[in-house]
Amino acid sequence: MKKQSSLSEMKKREEIAAYVFLSPYLLATLVFTIGMLLFALYISLHDWNLFQSPEFAGVKNYIKAFRSEDFRRGFLNIAWYTLIVVFTQTFVAVFMAVILFKPIPGKQFFRTFFYAPSVTSSVVISMIFIWLYLKTGYINLLFGKVAEIFGGEWQNVEWLNKPDGLFQLLARGVGGDIEYGKWYLHGPSVTWMAIMVQAVYTTSPTFMIMFLAALVNIPSSLYESASIDGASSWKQFWKITMPMLRPITLLVVVLGTMGCIQMFDYVKLMTAGGPLGTTLVPVYQIYTETLGINGPIRAGYGAAMAFILAVVIFALTYIQRKFIEEKTEQY
Amino acid sequence: MKRVLTLIMVLAFLCAGTALFANGKQEAEPSGLAEMTGADATSFTKFAVEEGAKLVLSGWGDQTEQKIYIDAIARFKKIYPDVIVDYQPIPADFQTKLKAMMAGGTAPDVFYVDDQLMTAFGSTGQLLQLDSYMAEAGVARSHFIESLLTIFTLDGDTYGLPKDWGTLGLVYLPEAFAAAGIAEPTDDWDWNDLYNAAKIISEKTDYAGFGQNADWARFAPWAFANGGSYTNTAFTSATLNTSAVKKAAEFVLKMYNDGVLVTSADVGAGWCGEAIGKELVAMTYEGGWMVNYMRNDFPDVNWKAVQVVKALNGVRSNVIFTNALGVNAGTKYPRAAAAFTIFLTSRENQAAVAETGFAYPAHPDQLGLIQDPNDKAIAAGGLIGRVAYWGPNTGKINDEVSRALERIYLGAMTIDESFAEAERKANAILAGE
Repeated sequence: MKKQSSLSEMKKREEIAAYVFLSPYLLATLVFTIGMLLFALYISLHDWNLFQSPEFAGVKNYIKAFRSEDFRRGFLNIAWYTLIVVFTQTFVAVFMAVILFKPIPGKQFFRTFFYAPSVTSSVVISMIFIWLYLKTGYINLLFGKVAEIFGGEWQNVEWLNKPDGLFQLLARGVGGDIEYGKWYLHGPSVTWMAIMVQAVYTTSPTFMIMFLAALVNIPSSLYESASIDGASSWKQFWKITMPMLRPITLLVVVLGTMGCIQMFDYVKLMTAGGPLGTTLVPVYQIYTETLGINGPIRAGYGAAMAFILAVVIFALTYIQRKFIEEKTEQY
Repeated sequence: MKRVLTLIMVLAFLCAGTALFANGKQEAEPSGLAEMTGADATSFTKFAVEEGAKLVLSGWGDQTEQKIYIDAIARFKKIYPDVIVDYQPIPADFQTKLKAMMAGGTAPDVFYVDDQLMTAFGSTGQLLQLDSYMAEAGVARSHFIESLLTIFTLDGDTYGLPKDWGTLGLVYLPEAFAAAGIAEPTDDWDWNDLYNAAKIISEKTDYAGFGQNADWARFAPWAFANGGSYTNTAFTSATLNTSAVKKAAEFVLKMYNDGVLVTSADVGAGWCGEAIGKELVAMTYEGGWMVNYMRNDFPDVNWKAVQVVKALNGVRSNVIFTNALGVNAGTKYPRAAAAFTIFLTSRENQAAVAETGFAYPAHPDQLGLIQDPNDKAIAAGGLIGRVAYWGPNTGKINDEVSRALERIYLGAMTIDESFAEAERKANAILAGE
């Protein structure tokens, strides 16, 4: 009896010690995450200019956000961005990881070389790409040279100021067009796709490192038995490597999706939502409304947009988890 | 006798300038003698401030601007040796940072105020009303160019004092004109002269004719001279879908489609001023900032400026940009902060700043202090311009104008469609939607 009570006392002491050790983190989470979330929720139901008392507005800010053409456009833009960037960066990351996992000469050098864009500041990367994307920049020069080799001529493109959408260009290719007012049918603009290329270039290496770490953990015995059974390298990749990478793929896709939906820096630094709103994204709109860039400060409206965005991220993450986890094979 | 005549001529010039500034609207041309308002020369009068006052001053600006303010603080210290001023420039994202600082209660005591900050701080009581302190310092609103004060005035009270102003001029490269074998621009040019010269230059030389981006500010001289505006005078409805604005846009688009007007990106420059510096375009509309920019970055490039050209109706107009200095309403030292602000914008200090060629003084009787010939030509635009302020949504309205221009440059819409859409969106913004 005595032994039992001393055991439960010890357990209690351990629990208290655990909470004491956790308290700094819990306190920070309570104040700076949960507290801020509740505050943002409160603000989203009010009109607030940061300096005077908030005035209750009910769900007016939410209705306003849903009615805003710019906000809807921002969501469509970010949907294209997420779809294309997440797929491409995951594919590129797996590809680079598999190549660099093989015993090739200069492996360490290439790992460092490929990883460099990920540790470079997005401001620096943006500045470099702004120059590359100039109408008189190196990208156009490169296309010009390639066209020259094939006996053609390249019309220089102003990459960061080209609002023509992908489907618009395709339609024009077959003699049609999609009018400007039907922006939802245009597809991602040339400028938006140029930014996607930049995003894939900078984020893929980070995910490549994650895939490399996962590749190390795949037991070599699986490949050995597959080889004995006569499986080709291609088959081994699809039947062993990819299924074994599924948990890390889930992580990469979820992180990639969340990162893409919250995209802000490239738009702020390179396009400010232009040309013609084809690179407008929700977080940039939240920023401009909350801080009153170019107009009155509307923090309540910004908070409402932020909550709508949070719900979308939550829903997407849930769907992805469900979809990918269900198909994950456990060994 | 000669001295008396010179004095009369100088006074006549100042009178004319002041009257036109006070109107702040388009004028056919600055006329000779006109009714003068606001040229009462005065000196800053020292008044009592809090003991042991410590002030923080913040503004944007590069190193040249920072040096100007360091020198200004030294001049202020001669009058108030006991007031400590800590100058903390914020070169980038000034407005955003200042709003965050103000919300967090850590904003500086004295800071630059533009239309965006006036919108955020003015009506929410974050700026100190300066009128009573101005009276103590012997400074009146009438000592400033009247139109510059409009942005910083609420219900007749003053919340910021204009520190300087700028406007646009036709900046050009004489070499391009020599290469094309045509005469250089004059103040008598109209749209057709500009078009013809740009066409000849673009055809006969390697220079592009005229540089102009899809930008509300550069479009303003075209639209305003043609009798257009961006909003009504009460700032309650947009006036973009008007024949005056669209006719101006039509001419600009014709230049663009004919290849005589190019954007800075077309020629591989970041902005049209840079295109002048790199000798890529022969002409563009830029402001007084070109003087220091060209001096520092392209000292070997010869350039000149005249006034922006007249519309086909013979009217010339321009746009005026201005910023003020304001005082944080929550400052611990309101008297010292007000004294500092009033001093920085005083005739004495602005005369010293004008000597550096950095900025145009906000006092009408000091326009004669502008020395650089190119600066003088550009500053003349101030006599016929209107201040770029259309109420608290100025930035958003300007964005809509720029987008309307972008759409027509890119051929995404016709002029009618584009400006109708711009007006629809601008009206929605003005209605608070």
